Amino acid sequence: MTGTLPGVAPMAVPPAAYLVVGTLLFAIGLAGALLKRNALSIFLSIELMMNAVNLLFLTYARMRGDMAGQMIVFFVIAIAAAEASVGLAIFVALFRARRTVDVDKIALLKW
Amino acid sequence: MPALSGDLVVFTIASLLAIGFALAMVVQKAPVRSVLSLVVTFFGLAIFSIQLAAPFVAVLQVFVYAGAILVLFLFVIMLLNLGQEAAEEDRRPLQKWLGLVAALALGGVLSGAALRAPTPKGMRPPAVVPLADEIPTIGRLLFSDYLLAFEALSFLLLVAAVGALLLSKRRFE
Amino acid sequence: MNRLWLIPLLPLAGFVLNGLVALLAASARAEAELGKDQPKARLPYAQRLFHGVVGVGSVGLAAVLAFAALVPWTLESLGHAEGIGPVVQHVYTWMAAGDYTIDVAFRLDALSAVMLSFVTFVGTLIHVYSVGYMQEEEGYGRYFAFLNLFMFAMLMLVLADNLPLLFVGWEGVGLCSYLLIGYYYDKDFAVAAGKKAFIANRVGDVGMVLGIFGIFALFGTADFSFVDLAKRAALAPGAHVSVYAVCLLLFLGAIGKSAQVPLYVWLPDAMAGPTPVSALIHAATMVTAGVYLVARCSAVFVLAPDALTLVAWIGAGTAIFAASIGLAQNDIKKVLAYSTVSQLGYMFLACGVGAFSAGIFHVFTHAFFKACLFLGSGSVIMSMHHEQDMRKMGGLAARIPQTFITMLAATLAIAGVFPLAGFFSKDLILGSVAASGHWFLYAVGLFTAGLTAFYMFRLVSMTFFSAPRGDPHALEHAHESPPTMTIPLWVLAFFSVVAGFLGVPAALGGSDRIGRFLEASVAHPEIGEMSHGLEIGLMLLSLGVAVTGLVWAWRWYGRAAGAPEAVSPQAATFYERSGLLGRLVANKWNVDEGIERLILSPFRRIGTFLWRGFDALVIDGIANASAFLVELAGDLMRFFATGRVRNYALAFSLGVFVFVLYVWVR
Repeated sequence: MTGTLPGVAPMAVPPAAYLVVGTLLFAIGLAGALLKRNALSIFLSIELMMNAVNLLFLTYARMRGDMAGQMIVFFVIAIAAAEASVGLAIFVALFRARRTVDVDKIALLKW
Repeated sequence: MPALSGDLVVFTIASLLAIGFALAMVVQKAPVRSVLSLVVTFFGLAIFSIQLAAPFVAVLQVFVYAGAILVLFLFVIMLLNLGQEAAEEDRRPLQKWLGLVAALALGGVLSGAALRAPTPKGMRPPAVVPLADEIPTIGRLLFSDYLLAFEALSFLLLVAAVGALLLSKRRFE
Repeated sequence: MNRLWLIPLLPLAGFVLNGLVALLAASARAEAELGKDQPKARLPYAQRLFHGVVGVGSVGLAAVLAFAALVPWTLESLGHAEGIGPVVQHVYTWMAAGDYTIDVAFRLDALSAVMLSFVTFVGTLIHVYSVGYMQEEEGYGRYFAFLNLFMFAMLMLVLADNLPLLFVGWEGVGLCSYLLIGYYYDKDFAVAAGKKAFIANRVGDVGMVLGIFGIFALFGTADFSFVDLAKRAALAPGAHVSVYAVCLLLFLGAIGKSAQVPLYVWLPDAMAGPTPVSALIHAATMVTAGVYLVARCSAVFVLAPDALTLVAWIGAGTAIFAASIGLAQNDIKKVLAYSTVSQLGYMFLACGVGAFSAGIFHVFTHAFFKACLFLGSGSVIMSMHHEQDMRKMGGLAARIPQTFITMLAATLAIAGVFPLAGFFSKDLILGSVAASGHWFLYAVGLFTAGLTAFYMFRLVSMTFFSAPRGDPHALEHAHESPPTMTIPLWVLAFFSVVAGFLGVPAALGGSDRIGRFLEASVAHPEIGEMSHGLEIGLMLLSLGVAVTGLVWAWRWYGRAAGAPEAVSPQAATFYERSGLLGRLVANKWNVDEGIERLILSPFRRIGTFLWRGFDALVIDGIANASAFLVELAGDLMRFFATGRVRNYALAFSLGVFVFVLYVWVR
């Protein structure tokens, strides 16, 4: 993994480091998503996961010199925006119906 | 051991920031504090993006993600007046422990996989992109190779906006 | 006559016509009498006329055609020293497998000619008799329909040119036997007797079918050309089956059909059917099918001498066994039934020592006198208003003279009194047994002849001589039967007297015409030679034994008087003194009870166990258990459906983890 782009300085930091950080952040986000009870907190953790993935994509883009990675990130951010708005609207509606956003309390599909 | 350079220092600080505040976000009970912690994390990620020769993404990260999305979160939290997460004892600790284990495991596995994956050789010739030319490149790609995705994306945003409006409407009883 | 197939076809047509008319008329009558509780009444005259004409006519016409076919053939055959070959008429191909075909084909040769002659002739006579005997019956049409069907099956059996077709007739007669024994279907014991007959036959049929397969395996063909192959001992290449086993299997079929030990138990019970049925099926025709089979396959049996010996022993054993039971029976028909079993034993004894033509000759003569005896007993029963217990008869000689004379003649014939038919055929058998060196079997046969004479004359004495013991009112009204019944009796009695002259042995100056006639069709292995003097001596011996039996029976039973129980004081004392033996004989040696205990009861228990224990517990248990397992799984699975998103997300991540791990490791 040399990470050389002509015209761009070679990477001073080894790419492996970025990958580790990225997966670490992803794991933290996952932990948050699984451990939190507040629906918004879970959503937040999911956002963190998405960003971690963005980081990974950027790292690979840099490693391979392929702009596709950056394009992906661009789209992911845009979609995250759309998703966040709709998701939060759902939470609002949910709160109005149930008076709570505790996911454990919203278990209508329970047997 | 890579040479100690400015880049490395910046990287280290940024990663400490990011990871630290990410942990803080998870641990915090108050949603507002979580959001704010996440904002700092995003700043760290923005720094990473710059380091990875993607300044446009960094800006996007700050403006859209931190600036818009997380602010939206804040709005909703305040709208719903969510306070402290109720500290009930969890009747099902299994979920918690297993969740932790799962997260760690997945994280470990993913990093291991990522590290092992070799760099594929024989790729497209790297785009000669001086940092200053990144934005025009992105723009060009958006309207050529990724045109369809771009248009779809705009449509998606429209749909999302409409959907969000509809969902949060109060019913008129 | 080149249409042999018409002979069985005519009775079949009779069956169809009689059956249809009987059914339609019965349903019309049922509709008309709906709601009314009519006792069973006899059919209107027109319908009876129809059934009678069709029933008797179809069989009579078949008899005419039969004689039209066999008389010219016989005459021509006798004209040639070696006889002429059989006439085989192929009608159509029934089954085809590759090169080999099984056809519907009919064969006329010496053996089938002999069988055909008495089957059609006696059959016609019995049909005529039935017109009178069954006329009060509401099931008159049904009776004649089944009787015609029986004739069809029997004729198929006799005329078949191959074993499968023979088997069709074999099964057909078994079926008709069941239908006719159970003719009085409202009587439980009749129905049970019908079932018993069918099942006992079935047991034998297992052997029959396997035997047919065996013949095919041995000779590569199941049509009677195998007889020629067997004569030359030309087994098919690669025949792995033991000839001995095949013979035993075929004989097993014969045991079932011809009521030998141990499958004889159905025949006495079969007396529950109408008397003409007993006469036709269980005396003259169906039960002789086994003997016919053995004679037909005689060339094969000759190849397995041990099997033949077994046949002889079983025949002799059955003969004496059944005769011993006949001594103590009080129902007139049962005596005749056991007598039939005993005489069939003689036929197999003959075949067993190699004298196949002697066995067939006895079949021939036995048909006449046994049918005469049965029909006569029917006449007696009718005149005594359906009384069948001989202890309640007596003194009927004067009241029903025609029946008396004909039955007496038949009795003398079966006892083997010279010069009636039974003497010649029975003596031919005994002589052959002696000549073959089986002196023990000869002694058994001789002793049985004495027993036969005894119990038959006991029957005659108790019925016709001796003082009347029955219901006086019945006795007063006892009258002779109508001519439709007495004419067949006379005809049969006549033949019981003269039929023997077909087989007069050389020792007495005759030429044993029937024996030599049959040589073309049945095997005639070399039996030892006997001097004429010895032969005549043995004849006198058996004659003496027979006369002794007759006289003894007369002395014990001929002058009995008084109460029905005290029929014969001498017999009573004898039974007392003989203790256990006497009781066993009186109880038919407890064979039925033995079969019940040893075979039927265990089977019933196995069946019940399989039903309650196995089926209910195991099979249902498996079904219930699988349902239970599904329920259990469902109950366990419920825990996964918490409805909580977090739990689902956890499951999700675990899955992803496994997946990534897998990809990583690969």
